Formats: sequence, structure tokens, C-alpha cells
Amino acid sequence: MRKVLALYVPAATVVGYIFLFAPLIVLVVYAFNAGRSTVVWEGFSLAWFTEALRDRSLRAGLQVSVIVAIASAALATVIGASAALAVVKRPFAGKSLFSTLVIAPLVLPEIVLAVGLLVATVWTGIPLGYGTLIAGHVLVSIPFSFLIVRAAASGLDPRLDEAAADLGANGSQAFLRVTLPLLAPAILSAFLLCAVISFDNFVISTFVSGVGSTPLPIQIYAMLKTGLTPKINALGAMLIAVNVIVILVVMGRYLKTIRKQS
Amino acid sequence: MTAARRGNLMTLALLAPSLLSAVLLLVIPILIVIAFSFAEQDTYGGARFGFTLTSYRELFQTIYLPIFTNSLQLAAVSTIVCLLVGYPIAYFIALRAGRYAGLLLALLLIPFWIDFIVRMSAWMVLLGRGGTINSALLGLGLIEQPIRMIGTYPAVLVGMLYAFLPTTVLPIHAALNGLDKRLLEAADDLGATPLQSFWRVTFPLSLPGVMAAILFVFVPAMGVYAIPVLLGGGKSIILGNLIVQLFLDFRNIPLGAAVSVVLLAISSVIIVCYMRVLRSVEEART
Repeated sequence: MRKVLALYVPAATVVGYIFLFAPLIVLVVYAFNAGRSTVVWEGFSLAWFTEALRDRSLRAGLQVSVIVAIASAALATVIGASAALAVVKRPFAGKSLFSTLVIAPLVLPEIVLAVGLLVATVWTGIPLGYGTLIAGHVLVSIPFSFLIVRAAASGLDPRLDEAAADLGANGSQAFLRVTLPLLAPAILSAFLLCAVISFDNFVISTFVSGVGSTPLPIQIYAMLKTGLTPKINALGAMLIAVNVIVILVVMGRYLKTIRKQS
Repeated sequence: MTAARRGNLMTLALLAPSLLSAVLLLVIPILIVIAFSFAEQDTYGGARFGFTLTSYRELFQTIYLPIFTNSLQLAAVSTIVCLLVGYPIAYFIALRAGRYAGLLLALLLIPFWIDFIVRMSAWMVLLGRGGTINSALLGLGLIEQPIRMIGTYPAVLVGMLYAFLPTTVLPIHAALNGLDKRLLEAADDLGATPLQSFWRVTFPLSLPGVMAAILFVFVPAMGVYAIPVLLGGGKSIILGNLIVQLFLDFRNIPLGAAVSVVLLAISSVIIVCYMRVLRSVEEART
């Protein structure tokens, strides 16, 4: 009995990691398969990639997703970072309530947030489109940029501000020449992660994208409902590559700071 | 302008963007949803503000009740499955993996950040009628007919586990990682078996992480809709599907708003319970 339990932990870990990566590996490998099969290897081919890139609706979706990701990540990073700076650096009443409000979109069911945005557009008569998509993605991205920048800012030595003040810097000089450069890597990470969150977002986009502003995940979902094609696998493989690169950039920095601390 | 005044203005400038976005994109929209849930549906399919409980009355009719129980059941079963698989992984990374812990955590985050819809399509590749698993089993002669996997409940659970496993492992890992290893040595010195020291020391101390994991799986699991459609064939209707249908297909805003309000209420109750229990655990410890 004890041996079984002693084996359970490493065995579950191995099985868990196989479970997490096997589907992605199968998807990527068979995206290069010349045939339609996802089992029989019929030779190496990039045909499905060119076909995915030639698909007009996928290209339109990609364009929408890229525009919305950049715009919403920029906004969410500025908003989340300034909220984080306020919480770490400034004294004000109701700080924990404020933090809860900023993080709330992370905990509430996303579909409720999406319904809220849709109903608000119905009520105000704002047309669905890029604006509503960007607003929705900003809403769900802010908690991430807030948490990342807050973690970095609370790790800064408060004596740096004092030193800057002693050397005659005023508040904004100290901020621009000391705090901001030190936080720049965290802010960049926050921007990248917010861009990924927006690019991958599905639930909010289902509700608030308009005609002519359908982002990529919604296009893929519509295609998946009618059946899986190797074209989608090829597109999926490309998206996995982009996401992995972003994660490695962000994680690489994160792992370096962990190693420095230990 | 005095320094204090300038300081206050600075604080206000830093707070304003997030307060503005929270009010405009979160608070006001949710208030509008609540208002619409009490509105009347007019003959043209539009909504007229008023105060009627028609939508809620309709919602608690027998045809909608199974949708609530389906959703709660799916969320509960998914949470249990995630904990059974996720806890040992978190335990291994925190207490056994040694210098590979960072690598294992990084690997765990990769699927978490990959496009949700791409992850689901990967499972469709594996589970489909002519998919990898079926073809492999056929090729090995283990089965004669392809097994139907897409469109079954286990397939939905696989999708849920896939979507929520990293979210389960991370908070439990955080709790276990902060554990004072000397406590385990002390239990060992006092003659506890590994199993005893797990149940009496490690597990109780990891409870805040387990509760956070439950919160982060159960609440979003109640609102999912793409996983049951793609992997479950959309046969058992759950709250997520119902909301999407009511808003995007039937344009029944009052009823859709009422379903959303109920979902929000259930989630809020769970979140408040979580915060209460967490506080009492923390107080018991000090």
C-alpha cells in the first residue's frame, strides 16, 4: 500500500505532463503531414501551412486579432501598471477594496463579464466592432498587468526613492529616471502577456465582436464546428509557435530573477 | 501648490484609469444586466425596463432546472478530477523535484498560455472518429470499430481537465512551496509514518492552496461553453450554452440577463465563502 502511494506522486506527474503535451505535439507533427490523416504519415509537406495562410477568413481574423491584441495590451498595461504603482507607492484609503476591484475580472466568470459588455452596448446603442472588442479585452487583461507590475514594484528597494530625493530629484524625476527603468522589464512582460491573453480570448470575443471584426479564435471555432481540417492544425501549429516564443521570453526573464534571488 | 496636494493629484492620476475602466466596463455593465433581468420582453423582441419577475419565474420552470444541475455537476466533477490529478503534480514539483522544479513549472505554463481554441482542436484531433487514438487502436488490432469519444461526457471531462489543470497546480504548488520543511522533519523525528505526516502536516498546510484551486476551477467551470460544444457534441446544455443561445440566437435579453445574474450570484457566494474560510484558516494559524 505504501509503495503504491509512493509511486502515485511521480507517476501522476509523468502522466500529467504527457497529458499536457501529447495533444500539442500530435497537432504540430501532423500539421506537416502531406495527407489528411492524423495517424498515417504520408510525407513531409508545408501544403497545409500555405493553405491556412491563403484562407481569406483566417487572414481577416488574424488581422483583427493582431490589431486588437496590440491596442488592448497597450491600454491594459498602462492602466494596470499605474494601478499597481498607486497601490505600492502611494498612501490612500480603501487600498484593499481597490485591489479587489481591479482583480475582480480574473475571478468572476468571464461569460458574465461578456454579457455585461454586450448588454451595455445594446443599452447605449454603441455598435459592436473594434472598440467593443478592445474594451472587453482590456477588462480581462488589466488584472494580469496589475499583478505582474505590482509584484515587481513591491520588490523595489524603497531607499532608491529616498536616494533620488536626497540627490535632489523631484517626484516625477525620481519616477522617470529610477522607478520606470527598473520596472521596464516587468512592464514589457505585462504587455506581452496581455497581448497573448487578447489574442487567445474566446468568450468575450464571442459576445462583442461585430460583423467584419471577427477575431481569429472565433473564425477557428466556426470552422471546428463544421469539422476539423488539416488547415486548422497548421494554423494551430503556427499559433503554438508564437505563444511558446512569447512565454519563453517572459519566463526566461522570470527564471533569471528567481535564480538571482536564491 | 503644496507637495501634499501634488502627491494627492499624482495618486489620483494613477488611480483614475483603472477606476474608470472598472466602473465603465465592469460595474455599470453588471448593473445594466441586473436591470435587464427585471425588464419585460416586448412584442418586437426588444426589452422594456420595468420591474417584473417574469424572467426569473420562467427560469425556475422545470425545463431550465436540469441546466443548473448539469452545470453545477459538471463544475463539481471537473474540480474533483483536477484536484486528483493536480495535487500530486504540485506536490512533486514543490517537494520532490529539487532543481527541476523551475523547469517543471515553466513547462506547466506553456499549455496554459496556448490559444484555448487550438488546445481544444488538438483534443479533437486525438479523440475524433478517425482520430489518432482510434486509428492507433485499430491499427494495433485492439478494437474492430472506432470508439465514439467525441460527444461523450468523459471527452468533456478531458477537455475540462486540460483547460484547468495548470490553474489547479499553481496555487497548490504555491502553498506547498511555502511549507517549512522542518515541520516534516519534526514529524519524522516524532515517529510519524510518511502517510501520517502527509495527512496531519502537509495536507492541512496546503489547504489554502487547495481552496484557491477550487475557486479558480469551479467558478469558471460553471460558465464554460465551448468545451461541451466541441468535445461533448453540445448535447447536454449547461449555463454557458444557455446564455450564448439566449443572447446570440434567440435575442431574449431579459431571460439571458436573468441566467447571468443567477450565475453571478452563485459565483459571488462561492467567492465570499472562500474569503471567509481563508480568513478563519489564517486566524487559526496565528
